[in-house]
Amino acid sequence: MNACKHISAGALLVTVLGALLLGNGMYLYAKAQLAQLLLQNAWQRTLSGEQNVKPWPWADTWPVARLRSPAHGIDVIVLAGDSGRVLAFGPGHHFGSALPTQTGHSLISAHRDTHFRFLQNVTLNEELQLQNTRGEWHRYRVVETRVLNASNVEFATVTQQSALTLITCYPFDALVPGGPQRFVLTALEI
Amino acid sequence: MTRQQQQLKRFVQFTHLHVPLERDVFTYLGACFGIGLAVSLLLITLVLLLTTPVRADGMPDSIQHGTLFMKTEGSSERRETPLLHTDVQLKITGLIARAHVTQTFRNDSDTWVEGVYVFPLPENAAVDHLHMQVGTRSIEGVIQERGEAKRNYEQAKQTGKKAALVEQERPNMFTNSVANIGPHDTVIVEIEYQQTLRYDQGDFRLRFPTTITPRYIPGEEPGGCDDGDDDAAPEESEPGVSASAEPAIVNTVSDAARITPPTLPETIKINPISVHIDLDAGFPLQRIDSPSHAIVVQKQDGRRMNITLADGVVASDRDFELVWTPQAGSVPQAAVFSQARDDGIYHLLMILPPPAGTSNVALPRETIFIIDTSGSMAGTSMTQAKQALAMALERLRPTDRFDVIEFNSRTRVLFGSARYASLDNLQSAQRFVAGLHADGGTEMAPALRAALDGRAHHDVLRQVIFLTDGSVGNEDALFELIQRQLGDSRLFTIGIGSAPNSYFMKKSAEFGHGTFTAIGDVKDVRARMSALFEKLEQPALTGITIAWPTDTTLESWPRKLPDLYAGEPLIVSARSATGSGEVSIHGTRGLQPWQATLPLHGGKTAEGVDVVWARAKIEALHDQALAGLDAAQLRQQVIDVALRHHLVSKYTSLVAIDVTPSRLDTDPLHTHNLPVNLPAGMVYSKVFGPLPQTATPAPLLVLVGGLLLLCGVIVRLLATMA
Repeated sequence: MNACKHISAGALLVTVLGALLLGNGMYLYAKAQLAQLLLQNAWQRTLSGEQNVKPWPWADTWPVARLRSPAHGIDVIVLAGDSGRVLAFGPGHHFGSALPTQTGHSLISAHRDTHFRFLQNVTLNEELQLQNTRGEWHRYRVVETRVLNASNVEFATVTQQSALTLITCYPFDALVPGGPQRFVLTALEI
Repeated sequence: MTRQQQQLKRFVQFTHLHVPLERDVFTYLGACFGIGLAVSLLLITLVLLLTTPVRADGMPDSIQHGTLFMKTEGSSERRETPLLHTDVQLKITGLIARAHVTQTFRNDSDTWVEGVYVFPLPENAAVDHLHMQVGTRSIEGVIQERGEAKRNYEQAKQTGKKAALVEQERPNMFTNSVANIGPHDTVIVEIEYQQTLRYDQGDFRLRFPTTITPRYIPGEEPGGCDDGDDDAAPEESEPGVSASAEPAIVNTVSDAARITPPTLPETIKINPISVHIDLDAGFPLQRIDSPSHAIVVQKQDGRRMNITLADGVVASDRDFELVWTPQAGSVPQAAVFSQARDDGIYHLLMILPPPAGTSNVALPRETIFIIDTSGSMAGTSMTQAKQALAMALERLRPTDRFDVIEFNSRTRVLFGSARYASLDNLQSAQRFVAGLHADGGTEMAPALRAALDGRAHHDVLRQVIFLTDGSVGNEDALFELIQRQLGDSRLFTIGIGSAPNSYFMKKSAEFGHGTFTAIGDVKDVRARMSALFEKLEQPALTGITIAWPTDTTLESWPRKLPDLYAGEPLIVSARSATGSGEVSIHGTRGLQPWQATLPLHGGKTAEGVDVVWARAKIEALHDQALAGLDAAQLRQQVIDVALRHHLVSKYTSLVAIDVTPSRLDTDPLHTHNLPVNLPAGMVYSKVFGPLPQTATPAPLLVLVGGLLLLCGVIVRLLATMA
């Protein structure tokens, strides 16, 4: 009877621990989704002429573009910077790369398990759309997808036309974060 | 009673039963925790075991080399880029250095290539000759308006002729384009320039930059006025044009693409360079040394010396610096050099005012420190900057007030308004400085705006000390901001790192009525900072004016003379018709007037004085543009003087074109931008950013959490049933 109780209590703790972990994981997903809702408002204000609109008062980032994939029903707001704090809320634009839709090479990263999960289904020649802070939509065609080693790659910063590169972790279905490989998709303005 | 209610009841009984027996409770909780932990660990191990094969199967062989806009080591793109070797021959005579920079482009590929190389030169270099060596023939470059030179070059490129084009992007940054380098062929381009040396606190200093610190391009995107059209490039909007309307700070850099050559990671070093110097100082020397490189000094006849690098050929990843100190008392306090040309007599005057004798330590001071903590400062630069700042803080007196501002993508101010240098305040400043780390962009304008308040401070001497590598592309916008916001503050720049943007540092200090100090290495921090303190603590010679002999054709540059700090000479050039008469110079130090007179004639004759004059005139014209000179007028005046003196400027380029075509129309030509080295001590990933981590632990958490939850529920169910 006593042993039974112990097992039962152990199971309870395991249950609680499981619930905590599950909750934590779900929280990450929820944050990624909810933040995008909050960002819609900040994006509207950006389009109406405000600069560097902080989506919430303590934010250290602001929306810089809106990315759409008509084929996969994706519509996300891209944020300034690609630190871990930023990527929790949305795709991040790499400081120092060309601003989205500007002539040059624009680098945007996001998590493989949230905002850029759809990249695994993108095919060559597919269309992506990018809206800049002036409200103009630009269309891009996917010209290349690659898997690269993150520690051994450099990106051109200056290109003749507007190029867009989306980066996410690879493989898509790996469970453990922090792997060295990246899935890199490049699209050129049409 | 449902099963749930039963369970609940058992749970309540269970806890109730054990509450009084404390020891049991702990043992029990420990055991439970142990079981829980063991189960979780087991599960996590299981999950990891399950997931690892997935990663291993993840197409490891498909990792690509050399893709569209990405390069990985060993990519074919890199092998096709022409290789470069640079040789620098410098001849130094007194105050003037003349340099022959030979760039050898070797094409190891099987295709025809065009090499485009963005390279640095000293910020006061006057580039006046270009030769292109093709086989045994030498082709002399001609000076043309920038648009015309570019058109001629493009035409030669299209028709298969070998050609070289040298254009100015910034006073210290040039582009050399070389077209039609044949497969396995070599083209040698020789560029000549002249510069005036820096004489400061008893030392002569020469800096030869060899690589470019990656420039940060701030803020908004370009207005689309310049889409790379050949003629449009030099005529970009000048900030000065809109100066009458209160300008929203112009943060655009329309030529960003031209000043950001590809930069290699720190692990790769290319572009080897060799340096030979023929030094005729004109005085017996007490010391000669290079803080940047190991050198070998050989005495020639008399006072001449030959200087070479001890290692022969080195990687071009840091400025080469040479310092020589004449024996005390051997340098005259004033000197005039003259050169007669058909359009007049050119003069170069150097006057070293005597030391102040008094100090301004008695005046209350307010010191604002600005420290650049952007990504390009990461590595040894940050160590230098922190040490220099810590030293400067120690030097403050309790009656001084101070504040510290750090900036990268954002600006952070320590106090908000200057506070007395009490022990407490100094301690919090030292903690603030120690806690700084470098990362992010170089948004310099907000930091300068925070430091320069645009006001006059009658009761206090306000000094702003700015530690940075100056790696920005919006120099003009910042100069304008400094001029507008300065008030009666003084801006002192301290150049940090192995390849600071000396043009930005020197001109900012000039517009800020301060002075520029360079620290190239951690071991120099103490000596260079002490030299700066000496300048900060002695009154500057201000309001300097020159009365020239009455000669209506006399033209002297610069017109607006800088303030002089301890140990700095006044250097000014003039062109006159007769070359006779007397020059008198007036100024004020503290409250004391100072005056000197010297004759124009009777000086030493020297070569290159005309070039010094023309270069000074072009620089002064650009300064006037920032103060409101019309852009079209500026352009025309610069073109006039540059064409007459054969100088490369913002609006004129040197171009050399072979007569006979060497490439057939049927062979394609590939253009390659030659990469530059990352300056020594810098951290590539901090400048260009590492690829971010792009996966959350969410899937793992959900999986492990879900499994644990399931496991717990099942075990409890089983226990209940038992």
